[in-house]
Amino acid sequence: MSETATPSKTEKKRAINRLKSMYPLRNVVQQDYIDTLKASNEGKPTVWSMLNYWEGDLPLKAMGLNIVYPENYATLLAASGAAEPFLDASDSDGFPTHMCGYGRSTIGYSYRMMKENGGKIPPDAPLGGMAKPALLLGSGIICDARFKWFQSLARYFDAPEWCLEMPMMATYEGSEPDLEAYQVKFLVKELKDFIAFLEKLFKQKMDWAKLEELTDLAVKIHETTYKISELRQSIPGPMHATDFWSSMPPSLFFAGDMKVSLKCYQDMLAEVQERVNNKVSGINYPERYRLIFAELPPWHSLKFFDSLAEMGWNFVFESFGYHAPKPPDLSKYSDPCEKLARLSRNFMFNVFPEAKADNIQNPIVETYLKIARGFKADGFFMHPLISCRAASCSLRTVQHWEQEKLDVPSLWVEGDIIDKRVFNPQEVLARAEAFEQTMDHYRKVRKSRGLDW
Amino acid sequence: MVTATTKGLSRAHEIYADRGKRVRELRKAGKKIIGYICLYPPIEIITAMGMVPFRIFGDMSEPITVADKVSTTVVCPFLRSIIDLGIKGKFDFLDGAVGAHTCDIGMTTIIAWRDYIKDAPFTHLIDVPHTDHAPAVDYFEGQINFFKQHIEELAGEKLSGDKLKKACELHNKQRKLVRDLYDLRKSDPPRLNSMENLEVMVSLFSLPVEEGNELLEAVIREVKERSIKPAKKKARLLVWGPVFDNTSLYELVESTGADVVVDDTCVGTRAFWADVKAPYDLHALAQRYLVDIKCPRTYRDTQHQETERSYDKDLDSRFSYIKKAVTDWHVNGVVLQSVKYCDTHGYEVPNLRHYLDTLGIPSIYIEHDYSERSLAPIKTRVEAFVETLG
Amino acid sequence: MENATPALFFAGIDIGSTMSKAVVVDAQGAMRGYVVGPTGAEHRRRANKVMEDVLLKVGITLDQVAYIISTGYGRVNVPFADKQVTELTCHARGVASLFPDVRTAIDIGGQDAKVLKIKSGRLTDFLTNDKCAAGTGRFLEVAAETLGLELNEMGQISLQSDTPVKINSLCTIFAQQEIISRLSEGQPLTDILAGVYIAVTTRVVKLARQLKVEPPVVFTGGVAKNSGMVKAMETVLGMPVLVPEEPLITGALGAAILARDEAFKLVQDGHYKIQKKQLSEAYIEFTEKKL
Repeated sequence: MSETATPSKTEKKRAINRLKSMYPLRNVVQQDYIDTLKASNEGKPTVWSMLNYWEGDLPLKAMGLNIVYPENYATLLAASGAAEPFLDASDSDGFPTHMCGYGRSTIGYSYRMMKENGGKIPPDAPLGGMAKPALLLGSGIICDARFKWFQSLARYFDAPEWCLEMPMMATYEGSEPDLEAYQVKFLVKELKDFIAFLEKLFKQKMDWAKLEELTDLAVKIHETTYKISELRQSIPGPMHATDFWSSMPPSLFFAGDMKVSLKCYQDMLAEVQERVNNKVSGINYPERYRLIFAELPPWHSLKFFDSLAEMGWNFVFESFGYHAPKPPDLSKYSDPCEKLARLSRNFMFNVFPEAKADNIQNPIVETYLKIARGFKADGFFMHPLISCRAASCSLRTVQHWEQEKLDVPSLWVEGDIIDKRVFNPQEVLARAEAFEQTMDHYRKVRKSRGLDW
Repeated sequence: MVTATTKGLSRAHEIYADRGKRVRELRKAGKKIIGYICLYPPIEIITAMGMVPFRIFGDMSEPITVADKVSTTVVCPFLRSIIDLGIKGKFDFLDGAVGAHTCDIGMTTIIAWRDYIKDAPFTHLIDVPHTDHAPAVDYFEGQINFFKQHIEELAGEKLSGDKLKKACELHNKQRKLVRDLYDLRKSDPPRLNSMENLEVMVSLFSLPVEEGNELLEAVIREVKERSIKPAKKKARLLVWGPVFDNTSLYELVESTGADVVVDDTCVGTRAFWADVKAPYDLHALAQRYLVDIKCPRTYRDTQHQETERSYDKDLDSRFSYIKKAVTDWHVNGVVLQSVKYCDTHGYEVPNLRHYLDTLGIPSIYIEHDYSERSLAPIKTRVEAFVETLG
Repeated sequence: MENATPALFFAGIDIGSTMSKAVVVDAQGAMRGYVVGPTGAEHRRRANKVMEDVLLKVGITLDQVAYIISTGYGRVNVPFADKQVTELTCHARGVASLFPDVRTAIDIGGQDAKVLKIKSGRLTDFLTNDKCAAGTGRFLEVAAETLGLELNEMGQISLQSDTPVKINSLCTIFAQQEIISRLSEGQPLTDILAGVYIAVTTRVVKLARQLKVEPPVVFTGGVAKNSGMVKAMETVLGMPVLVPEEPLITGALGAAILARDEAFKLVQDGHYKIQKKQLSEAYIEFTEKKL
């Protein structure tokens, strides 16, 4: 066992064996909020951006703009137990309560800032809060109702909004090779308009060389994170899901300095590689079951994974929507907008060619079939969210096909990303114990079918 | 066929009660029936290919029992109902199913159709961009073109410009006739109640366009000849929101002593208010569907490229068509209704209510889960709302 | 029969989910009597019973009642009512008759809760919660059962608490488990009870905030009799609330007053054609007095 790769043993054994290299990455995003707020106090504009799969992040960063991500901020609100007054504020301004928890958090934040606090950040906002936006950058990738969310913030802010477009179909109509050029053409046109608008709004020119440099860095970051994901297929699983969630923001939306992030991910790759070489697990208990978490975690109750780790449940992979795929080869394209368009588009369209092999139309199902095989999953932890359509709608289908095609069972636990009141950890632990028998049973069934796990 | 013996409204009532009856007959006679979900597949192309476009609806009175293996309970119950009916074989008369990325769940519905509903061998999914930016309209035109090519394969023939033009004109004629019919509800009391109107609308989505037009002409003749019943009601309401394909909500609202005189839903005005413009080509279709249909699923970016945004201007550009309807139909209250879990409409609710406030029009927001059972508890609230208008 | 006052009365009947109430008012709109009883399964029989009881209490017969309005969840099951009006409109009218300046009324019933915005005595906006027991009297019942208390004992006990326990759960069943675990932790009963009140009122105040709470606020419904609830409501709301002497009957009272208004309006419009002809006399007498 490598001493350098294990956290120092304190009095009480920690259930999850956290990667040392995770901590600097977790700090990147926290530092980013603090830096952005500081910059705002010095008069620099802040952009509020939705997760946009790099299409918008890179141009903003190339222009040196400070960005905050309300969706990410909503997870921080939930994780620090501070979400409730923000959700209440959204309700009290008349937004339906069934809507997206991230959306409601942000609406509540904006309401409290502008209607209750005279434009100042609410005092109970964690990490100092998000400064008033100079631009609202919307996106519909993966979850399209988000278009309406930033539009509805016009109630509070006079900041302009821009909505990024992205072809949305990861199905055969959208995946034929000859359609790629047509999609890229659309995206390039949109990106050029977007960048022209940024130049007009912020009265500064795009630094095209910088944009290319950052795009190259993005590719390098994704190559690295992709390698980490591949290594995680090892037995025992060397990296627990909670480490992924803590370290993903610098690859998911490039929080912080990308050069620094690249170095951090390279360190993480080295640490994971070392664990694989030495068969070190992501949990400090014997790995009895290998679980896949689908799709978004209960940010407010992450401690709950400790109890499962104590039972020998290793969450070896998770949240496909938060993983950057293997980046495309961009070296043959010269237009920086085209490079960016191709990098971003790749997220939506990389999986479909494989889906055809299983004769399944839903690319999310195919993605998870591939994951279950690659990671030799014993079971899925399905976490449908009461407030999120996008990350919940395909889970039943995934469950169905995992069982049908691979005899991998699922534990179905309703919860939410923000609202903790529907999630009852005690009850889930009791069900988890029973689920072990199911997993044992299907292990035998898989073996009898000639599957290798 | 509309004959002298089957009057317009009773014919509509029959079709409403058994939507598949006429298309089954047509299918036996060799016609291809192409089902479609939501408003965004360009039905002119289906008509132009000599096929019958058939709007796929759910069924509020049929409990959702088998859709659970495909979808979670926290998504649009209307679309869940469609999947449920499909798995149960209720759409066995369709030769094809066409979906559009109207919203994410709309898209997954057609994907699920492919994996779980084997009745319609031809399926196609059209991507619909979410803004009305110029590059998005061009992109959408490309999507319509792919759809055209795919359906040409099914038909075994090419679509000619002439046929498309003729189909556009037929559908435009239908839109004009629907607007004429809605004009008959401007009187006080309206000449046609909202239940009757919905039955006609649902019929139009269940018939070839020519038959729909004949039906409309018959209904308009019949309604014009009616004597207006004397009793005026105290409220004239507009109903707003996502798809509502069942008379039960209108019955509920009208039973509280109000007339629903106009709507902003996709089984009413939203489907028929915008025409396809000359020269009736694919670009004109892209413009009509992406830009001119007023569903909140499209971010109509009226302050595009502007460096400052005005909330009031934004509201006015998004909702002034509702203001016009309020004025033209003498509306004194608005019922905002939505199925649960429709975030697209949900984000709109406080903004639209605020806009109506500025017009001095009271409004109420109600939510249901697309089942007749879920309507009952709403009744008292609607009734109290109508009482506040009296 | 000798009778100094005009023998003309108007009645309101409120068939709620747990309690039925009846109120009789005279031509001046003054309350002449009321009764309250449990609803039970058979609404029709209950409606007859409360009507009989209230007539007995006021000392009149049914033909002396010119107009009857039924309201509440069981309003359709009152066969002798002349008209049905929703409990929202009736509550607003009843509350405004007691507190003419009222701007916000909060009513917590056995199975639902409602928030009314009122201006110049008229209902202008409202919200209801009928989906979730957590913000209704039902939640208190569950808590009482869990704690082994009678409902009416609860209020006094909790008044002694300055440190209410926090009850986090949204769902009644989870909250019940939470109460049990607080008990087993040895938390004082008074603090737990106070926590229960805070939990219920917090749910309702959230609803109220959507309509922007403006004073004066009137608090009605069966639970408003509970002093612990009133204290909790004032704490959570951050402002004082007014509670009618009999907070259960505001709906029935409003229905009775609306019955009077409606009857007079019908006379005025010349629509009143049924045999209760004394009504027109009472109306004339009433308007003359007013002049």
